[in-house]
Amino acid sequence: MTAGQEKADFDKEVRRVVYDFTMREGAPPTSERVAENLSTAPSDVKSSFARLADAHILVLQKGNGEILMANPFSAVVTPFLVNVGNRSYYGNCIWDAMGIPAMLGADARISTSCGCCRTAMEATIKDGALAEASGVVHFAIPAARWWDDIVFN
Amino acid sequence: MLLFRAEEHVEKWCADWNLSRGETLSPDKCWQLAKVWYSADRREPDWRRRTADEAESLFSELGLTSPFWRLLPS
Repeated sequence: MTAGQEKADFDKEVRRVVYDFTMREGAPPTSERVAENLSTAPSDVKSSFARLADAHILVLQKGNGEILMANPFSAVVTPFLVNVGNRSYYGNCIWDAMGIPAMLGADARISTSCGCCRTAMEATIKDGALAEASGVVHFAIPAARWWDDIVFN
Repeated sequence: MLLFRAEEHVEKWCADWNLSRGETLSPDKCWQLAKVWYSADRREPDWRRRTADEAESLFSELGLTSPFWRLLPS
């Protein structure tokens, strides 16, 4: 096996652990938690995070190399709270907030607010359908430019 | 991508941020997009990101066919 293949296989393992942890615990893990899970060095995991970010699979926090986004999940508190059963998640945007119940295959209640006036708004997913929602979703940036500034987007 | 109470709130937000207006979807259309975009299990070793071509096809199947949703050079 070449070094490139080894890295690719390791990155798949890291991706599996990141999403498994996130879906179970509510937010993406630190590099240390992933390293414990894979019995490897945190520095190797951080290198993998960097490769996964280059491939637009993760978005990292500036400066520390930890996960900011494992789409659709956010590692930090956002205005897109998603409650699934007794567990809470944060989405990166309203699309991602809806992506969380889609990925989990679960009912959910999304709590957010109007992007303009901050009035509280909710959306409910039940039995694979949008059961309750109002308003409009605005995509500000054309699709071809989403990754120019994924955090703003 | 943000949720707004109404189109007028989108217009005001764009003016406040000095941004051109993008595209608006109904919450249900956004849910349809979220379902097809995120339903694949990213824990699986065979999972991979969609190519630009595949993503454009997905948008197209949902009726998102304007230049706003284009990823490939025309």
